[in-house]
Amino acid sequence: MAEEKKDILDNLKKAVFEYDRQLAARSAVEAVEKGIDPIEAMNVMTAAIREIGQAFGKGELWLPELVGASDAMQGATPILEEEMERKGRHRESLGMVVAGTVFGDIHSIGKTMVTTLLTAAGFHIEDLGINVKAEEFSAAVKKHDADLLVMSALMTTTMTEQEKVIEALNKEGTREKVKVMVGGAAVTDEFAESIGADGYDPTAPGAAELARRLLAV
Amino acid sequence: MSLKGFRRIFKPLEILSDEQVEDIKRGVLAVLQNTGMRFESEMALKLFQKHECMVDFDAMKVRFPPGLVEECLRKTPSSFYFKSRNPAHDLIVGGNTTYFCAFPGMNTVELDTWEPRRATRQENREALIVLDALDNLHFLTPYTPYFGFDDIPPVLSIPESAAAKIRYSTKLQFSGYQKDCEVYTIEMARVADTEIQGMMESSPPLTYYGDAVMSAYRFANAGLPLHITSGAVMGGTSPATVAGTLVTSVAEIVGGIVFTQLVKPGTRVVANAFVFPQNMMTGVPFFGSVGISLHEAAFNQIWRSYNIPVQSSAIGPTNSKGIDYQNCYEKAIPALVAALSGAHIIQFHGGVYGEITHHPVQSIMDDDVAGVIGRLIEGIDVSDQTLALDLINEIGPIPGFYLNTAHTRAWWKKEQFVPKVADLLPYGQWQKEGKKTALDRAKERMNEILQTHRPVALSDEQEKEIQRIIDKAQSDYAKKGLL
Repeated sequence: MAEEKKDILDNLKKAVFEYDRQLAARSAVEAVEKGIDPIEAMNVMTAAIREIGQAFGKGELWLPELVGASDAMQGATPILEEEMERKGRHRESLGMVVAGTVFGDIHSIGKTMVTTLLTAAGFHIEDLGINVKAEEFSAAVKKHDADLLVMSALMTTTMTEQEKVIEALNKEGTREKVKVMVGGAAVTDEFAESIGADGYDPTAPGAAELARRLLAV
Repeated sequence: MSLKGFRRIFKPLEILSDEQVEDIKRGVLAVLQNTGMRFESEMALKLFQKHECMVDFDAMKVRFPPGLVEECLRKTPSSFYFKSRNPAHDLIVGGNTTYFCAFPGMNTVELDTWEPRRATRQENREALIVLDALDNLHFLTPYTPYFGFDDIPPVLSIPESAAAKIRYSTKLQFSGYQKDCEVYTIEMARVADTEIQGMMESSPPLTYYGDAVMSAYRFANAGLPLHITSGAVMGGTSPATVAGTLVTSVAEIVGGIVFTQLVKPGTRVVANAFVFPQNMMTGVPFFGSVGISLHEAAFNQIWRSYNIPVQSSAIGPTNSKGIDYQNCYEKAIPALVAALSGAHIIQFHGGVYGEITHHPVQSIMDDDVAGVIGRLIEGIDVSDQTLALDLINEIGPIPGFYLNTAHTRAWWKKEQFVPKVADLLPYGQWQKEGKKTALDRAKERMNEILQTHRPVALSDEQEKEIQRIIDKAQSDYAKKGLL
């Protein structure tokens, strides 16, 4: 059994390093079937993602590898989270993060880079995807009791949408409970401040560090 | 296993029509037969006479029968193996492969004031270690990197330079000549178990001095390869026209080839153009000018028709005193033309102004340019895998996305070249990381290389022998009153 468990955990790790979503999903199902602690299984993958994230930060790995590793982990995460819920277990994390690209914008790369590195750092991510409306962000923050909202807008035409999201949080009465980070090619510190965001960083590794600072974790 | 170099997979640039090539080649034969060349060497003139050339010993002139010229060109190898003391740095010169080579300078240059100054022995060593470490630099150069350093007397600069190259790099080198110093460099090659390429440089128009002839004679007899160079300056030592200069520059090299093939048939030769227009404003060569590119493209095409490897050397120096925009375009454009037109060796890395300054930071930045050019000539792979029709079908229109596919992970790096020191950051990240320019990053990379790169060392015995040869050179020159 110990050897079987080791093989399954090794495969979860291997799936991240080899960008193999199918292997990750298959190994997660096996982990559940064999009664392996889903939190332990998640931690193995988080550690692997952390290594990938560090290599990305140093320029040793590149965007396709970072995204591939993140995608592999996504193959296993819903299966393991369902098992945690079934067992009433909760994974310790640095905080709950809601992430997405704002309405009118379908650029996902920057957002994916940041969420991957936040996952690697130990945050729990609820990724709303692309083209997300202000009300959807606001509803997700409330639903998941988020500690942090990270939103991305690549274009100058959509970066103003970030302000609408903050207005929606204000309207919902959740703004004071959640830290807000903005990002995107055209965003600057001045812009972030002008719309009332809590922070901005031009790099994905910097954004992960900023998240820790904002939440003091 | 030899260094890979860059293999061009498409037809080379042809700037001349077939008729134009033939016209120039006929002109070359006519000049060699009718005008003749001056060889300031009785030994060479006697050799030519023995092979039925028309020789005027008083004028030191030789006129070559076309049949002999064509026979000697045929005997010259179309490609050849060139052996280093480190097999990983062996080269195969010829075919569709392009290598990059360093370009020397008399001095180093201060990176803040761009003032030249004499390099120290340590700076010479560091410049060599950088060259040894660079991925896209395959070949060291004569006088690499500096013509002299510290207080080395001029007569010892080539032996000292050759010794430093052997000590601090296993990349192949060619070596200059003066005052019979090739005797020592040939001996160094023997003790270090490496080959060194000799040089034979014309003194245009249509002349070889005795030291060039003797250098070629010694290298050929030692079974070592040679590059034979024309250093014509258009409008000064050759006609102002590109076509006229092609006639004289090619003729000068062909004359040198006839000599080497008569000394030792089958001697490995590279035809080298170190040809510039004259800068009529200043009197120095017109570095980085379009005339260089026009000449080299045609020169490469002509030598391809002779089936003899070719080198482009006029690319290394610029008019700029610093590492800036002018410096880059004056180097990069002729280097690109050389690569597209089939140069086998492009002398490029490290040269800053004229042959006056060289710097390892320039070498590092040039290595990125060499990588871009090299990747370009390797062309486009069209296959089932690269066409990716199945993948295109699978991904479809939006929201399909290619980033997270095994195909992207497998291919994007192969398809691209990522420069090592270019500033590739978006604005915010650039500001956050200290607003570094490519020049700043190249300086950092130089420090990193010097801290981490260790060239393959000579054995103790080889080191002792190299020093013995240097000492012998010093003692011989002292006896001749040259020190």
